[in-house]
Amino acid sequence: MSDANTPSDVEPEHDHDHHDHEGPGYATPQAAIEEGDREKLAYVMSLYVGTDVDAPDFVAVVDLDPDSDTYCEIVDRIELPNRGDELHHFGWNACSSSCHMEGLERRHLIVPGQRSSRIHVIDAKDRHNPELETVIEPEEVFEYDLSAPHTVHCIPDGEILISMLGDADGELPGGFLELNDDFEIEGRWEPPGEIEMNYDYWYQPRQNVMVSSEWAAPKTYYPGFDLEDVEAGNYGQRLHFWDWEDGTVEQTIDLGEEGLIPLEVRFLHTPESTHGFVGAALSSNIFHFWRDGESGEYRAEKVIDFESREHDDWDMPVPALPTDILISMDDRYLFGSNWLHGEVWMYDISDPSNPRRADSLSVGGTFGEVQEVQGRELSAGPQMIQLSLDGERLYWTTSLFSSWDEQFYPEEGERGSVMLKADVDPRKGTIELDEDFLVDWGECPEGPARAHEIRWPDGDCTSDVWQ
Amino acid sequence: MAKQHHDVTLEWPDADRETRTVAVDEDETVLEAAERADIALPFGCRTGACGTCTGRLLEADGAESAAGDDERGTIDVTDAFSYRRSPRALKDRHRADGYVLLCIASPRVGCRLAVGASVHTELVDNPWK
Ligand code: FES
Repeated sequence: MSDANTPSDVEPEHDHDHHDHEGPGYATPQAAIEEGDREKLAYVMSLYVGTDVDAPDFVAVVDLDPDSDTYCEIVDRIELPNRGDELHHFGWNACSSSCHMEGLERRHLIVPGQRSSRIHVIDAKDRHNPELETVIEPEEVFEYDLSAPHTVHCIPDGEILISMLGDADGELPGGFLELNDDFEIEGRWEPPGEIEMNYDYWYQPRQNVMVSSEWAAPKTYYPGFDLEDVEAGNYGQRLHFWDWEDGTVEQTIDLGEEGLIPLEVRFLHTPESTHGFVGAALSSNIFHFWRDGESGEYRAEKVIDFESREHDDWDMPVPALPTDILISMDDRYLFGSNWLHGEVWMYDISDPSNPRRADSLSVGGTFGEVQEVQGRELSAGPQMIQLSLDGERLYWTTSLFSSWDEQFYPEEGERGSVMLKADVDPRKGTIELDEDFLVDWGECPEGPARAHEIRWPDGDCTSDVWQ
Repeated sequence: MAKQHHDVTLEWPDADRETRTVAVDEDETVLEAAERADIALPFGCRTGACGTCTGRLLEADGAESAAGDDERGTIDVTDAFSYRRSPRALKDRHRADGYVLLCIASPRVGCRLAVGASVHTELVDNPWK
């Protein structure tokens, strides 16, 4: 069934004023800040894949309402039908990019299994008790010679686009899979072979541009991180700039050695902007990219460099590993997480070519000053981050990818992940750990689980795009 | 005629679990046979790409593996298993060390395997530590 054809019978948490638009989301990023309510629930990818716990991965519904009796608790778990998925990233069937689409609702969560290539569709009409609606089985995905689904964005007409990191065998090339608004596979979005490696992507429709980044072939990163693969050139270091309407690559930028493993890639929210950022996880740098007005070409430049640090118990200097970044809804701050070092940071990007460090928080990881919260030992560093629409609360989880967790933080599997929160003062540019906030995946009924990406029911800083 | 099968003994080296033996049909993978017997083994892609299902061969057709602490090394995995498709998650060094992808491997002889999540973690270590 299509969200575009159902009557508008969803009762959102709040009744935001739609002003001059008819569809889901907010008319502008500023409207999201002003009209969006405080986040009271979070959906969080939760997983058992790769452990001996005999249970499928699940989507956790976390209570974030400080006035609620179940604040900081997992209040519902949507269990999936199969084990072995590795839930990772997910997205909505509709976001603010469809705010002109009358009748379309931000109602269905598209939840892919990174390892299984199975794609789940969850109906979140009841925000507190979402239900599994449809499952696209791996065999249907493999028919398009694609596997390893990663980033999910809705595209403006109600369709859904998913970056796929490998071919049906888990080798290169990856590509993009398109679903229609009935959640059926429409086909490949791009002509096959436009790119080799794939990972995250973001689009800016008003500029007719999409940007995509590179991790590696699934068979390379699935088993764990191996330096041999880096030496063999099996990890990515390129950004691809696409013609959004044609689905073809117009320009590729090789970021070089300082841009090894470019992961999360974000354009500014302002729909006219051609500026964005990407975190190069392995070389621990952040790149700024923008369109050069004169040549019309995109350029990329390293603007933040995290130094490796010596640690007594490690043989070699430990890289920071910035694995996630996000941009606040007002485009003023860039936030990120250094998973190995144990750091959450915020930079003022008012001038995107000269980010200025505003503040940071040393928590978890290999060097974090705070190693336990409420007596609960942290087992890993900050990883996936999510920011409130008003930019005042930053949340994060601690698991990166099950096999990589096992290498760098073996305790993560034994103790489970946590979700933590910091209070942000956007005016002063400061960030402070909220010691009263802790959600613990170590206490799940079947055993400790890992927690990964976080989304709010009504839009967030890493999914909404404006048309 | 009855299907040919081989007895495969599963041992969890790091987990407090009982050793189990399953009869695996010639056209069946170890993972499928375990599921049939209601034994949960870790898996992910089920296509030989992710390594989540990795097991390690301890003994094949009565031939013990190398003596000493390190049990890995002397048994030729390629004689003990046939693969449905190519085991892409394993590098040459892993195959030489006796690792097997149980989602795509069918035994050709009776054998004993180390299984469970801890076996997968042996494939790669932390390169900085
Ligand atoms: S389950 Fe992925 S290689 Fe076997």
